[in-house]
Amino acid sequence: MNAAAHYFVNLMESEASVIARGLRRHDPDLLDRLIEQYQHRLLRYLVYLSGNRELAEDLFQETWIRVLERGHQYDGKHEFSTWLYAVARNLTIDYLRKMSPLSLDGLMEDGEHAPLEPADPRPMAWELMQQHQQAERISAALLRIPAEYRETVMLRFQEGLALDEISTVTRSPLGTVKSRLYRGLNMLMMLLERAQA
Amino acid sequence: MIALGESVSDTQQAWLRTHLEDCEACRHYAEAVNGVVRTLRSMPLAADARLVRATQMRVRFHASRLRETRERMWLVAMACLGVGLSATLTIPFLWRLFAWMGEWAGVSTLVWQAGFVFFFFAPALVVGVLLVARGTHLANDGEHLR
Repeated sequence: MNAAAHYFVNLMESEASVIARGLRRHDPDLLDRLIEQYQHRLLRYLVYLSGNRELAEDLFQETWIRVLERGHQYDGKHEFSTWLYAVARNLTIDYLRKMSPLSLDGLMEDGEHAPLEPADPRPMAWELMQQHQQAERISAALLRIPAEYRETVMLRFQEGLALDEISTVTRSPLGTVKSRLYRGLNMLMMLLERAQA
Repeated sequence: MIALGESVSDTQQAWLRTHLEDCEACRHYAEAVNGVVRTLRSMPLAADARLVRATQMRVRFHASRLRETRERMWLVAMACLGVGLSATLTIPFLWRLFAWMGEWAGVSTLVWQAGFVFFFFAPALVVGVLLVARGTHLANDGEHLR
């Protein structure tokens, strides 16, 4: 690894250490900054994990409360986002277990989710309209694949996590992550082809 | 390769590129998947400012309560340490005092020893009951306000 890469790796490590120290102290300014920094990514992840925007917003708040309460568990040796997603995931699973004794698979219920609305409802040019329609089709198809596959696809392609990071977040072996990614993409493509046919 | 990215070796990547040049069906599939991945990466789903502000306020409030609890526990720990030390130092003198008072009053050993035990534990019991009552009262007030 060259000197520049070493520099950036060390920078990341020291930022993770700063975050770990701040969480142990319950530093409110640090938490404010983290909430702002990860707002979109975390909400996106929760929306696609739970399939419901309202529920995702509640879980968003509860995730940060849990980050505050369990901040001492973050050791600063890995990226903060990986730990954050793991906290959000566990919270979602705990919440769903309280509601009904289902695993993450139980999230795959076709007709019961509020549609995921795109953020921008203004009138758009033709190309943007097509992208919007494509995004809606993909959103609808995503909600129909098993939650574990959906989660893996989202973490890989929307959040840009590496496979080993996804393995850490989901507490699954690397082979399982690869398998879910492959099957998730396949199912998504099949559903999209059927929708277009 | 699209999904696995960095975990595919150079040899495998080269093989795949050659295969995609020759196989039309696989090439169309790869293009379709690339399109889906591009859309996934650009899908607009944003948190709104209201949610972020509400979350920040809630977290700040919770953080201040956690800090208060930690400070209170620290005081309780120091108080317990102080009580423990003072008890250790004063027990021998109190024991001799009670023994002398028992002898002076002409009561049996069992009686003055029971008196010593009661005298030793009673203050702590009274304070404990008062604190629990105060804590219960505060908790009830909190529920009432909610």
